[in-house]
Amino acid sequence: MWSFTIQGAVHRPVRWTWDEFRALASETFTVDIHCVTKWSKLETSWGGVSLDTLLDGMETEAQYVTAWSDGGYTTNLPLEDLSGGRAWVVHEYGGEPLEAEHGGPARLLVPHLYFWKSAKWVRGLTLTVDDEPGFWEAAGYHNYGDPWREQRYWSD
Amino acid sequence: MTTVEAVADESPRAKTITLDAPDWPGHIAGQHVDVRLTAEDGYQAERSYSIASAPEDTRLALTVERIEDGEVSAYLTEELRHGDELELRGPVGGHFTWNVDDGGPLLLLAGGSGLVPLMAMLRHRAAQSSRVDARLLLSIRSLEDTLYRDELAKLGSDQTTAVHYTITGAAPPGWTGFTGRLNTTMLQAFAPARDQRPRIFVCGPTAFVEHAADLLVELQYDTDTIRAERFGPTGG
Amino acid sequence: MSEAQWLDGNALAGTFHQWFGTELTDTPRGCQSCGAVSPVGAHRLYRGAGLVLRCPVCADVALQVASLPDRQVLRFAGTWCFEIAGSAQLAPTADGTL
Repeated sequence: MWSFTIQGAVHRPVRWTWDEFRALASETFTVDIHCVTKWSKLETSWGGVSLDTLLDGMETEAQYVTAWSDGGYTTNLPLEDLSGGRAWVVHEYGGEPLEAEHGGPARLLVPHLYFWKSAKWVRGLTLTVDDEPGFWEAAGYHNYGDPWREQRYWSD
Repeated sequence: MTTVEAVADESPRAKTITLDAPDWPGHIAGQHVDVRLTAEDGYQAERSYSIASAPEDTRLALTVERIEDGEVSAYLTEELRHGDELELRGPVGGHFTWNVDDGGPLLLLAGGSGLVPLMAMLRHRAAQSSRVDARLLLSIRSLEDTLYRDELAKLGSDQTTAVHYTITGAAPPGWTGFTGRLNTTMLQAFAPARDQRPRIFVCGPTAFVEHAADLLVELQYDTDTIRAERFGPTGG
Repeated sequence: MSEAQWLDGNALAGTFHQWFGTELTDTPRGCQSCGAVSPVGAHRLYRGAGLVLRCPVCADVALQVASLPDRQVLRFAGTWCFEIAGSAQLAPTADGTL
């Protein structure tokens, strides 16, 4: 049963079921993403719930977030990077429900950060006081992009 | 580094690239090479391509299918010319290989351009004059898309080799062969029985390979005898 | 933009050769989670920020490769058994050093 949970350094964890999540205010927006083929830039359209909506009213001293997905994947980012209309939990791509191959039913989308921060199959966020390296960050990825390609790209 | 000798049409969307590779150490049928393209600005792209030629052939050959939006396959099928250099690494791959000494019978299941490494196996078998029972089923959208058409027709006329097609698109008028997606009925009709312990090789897009593997397991073929190689569209 | 979710470990054959000078795709690997033994070539290769190779039976991580500007960082999990051709002198010497 799909659910999305915000927990960790918060007074009370919050959880949405799929129906509850879909009942939240959702927006459609487009993002320019550099395609892995360097010569083309894709304008991609997405539909989802802004993190501003999901985090609305949440009191916390946390400055960081670990996003976690089915299968044990985690990625960490500053809480601040999720605010100000710069991050979403998306469930639609190109007007269609997000396919499992591309991270569906829902994935995190944070276009201004490196692509592996946009966790596929996201199931929740854990707010943390300290920055806790996620799956790739612990392996050495942090401020490094892929040496063979540009730093931000849609790889899948 | 290799030099292109020829680029020839193999089907409407595929070309066979013949290469002069002076330091080529030889290969085993089923192996592949990693091709690397470097743009003037240093941007690099790398893709794996199965070797189409038999180990006995004097020239190294790759068959590349043009994939929509595939940056590497576009270059290889449209830009590459005789005399151009092509950087490749290999041969590599030890898991998906077959040598006549490994014996048979051979059951080969190919989805589209997944035929390439299996063709290398059949060519090796022919070059060794091996009479190992070999049965190939090629799943293809239309006969026009078939790679190595004439060669397959000739192979199929040999008593120890069976070549079957299943057409997933529109079949030509009068077609009496299989149509549609691979299924257990087809396998039961032509594949060696499971207690013959055929050596099974499956190659093609992931969906095809997954589906074929599921069918083989359903028909109780020993999973140890099944080797699979998946092409993503990342093969483009 | 439909791309396969994963390839199999065969796709790493060239890279293994580059790193280790030897074939690894026919190497059997024993999974640390489920205990299954499968050839590396049959494992599932995913591309994320780097590469992840997963057990074909239970999907637990078998190998994680991080590609950093100046080095590759490899993290192996499970039991990988492979051979390197050629002899090596490994018997300790008289003074106890190797």
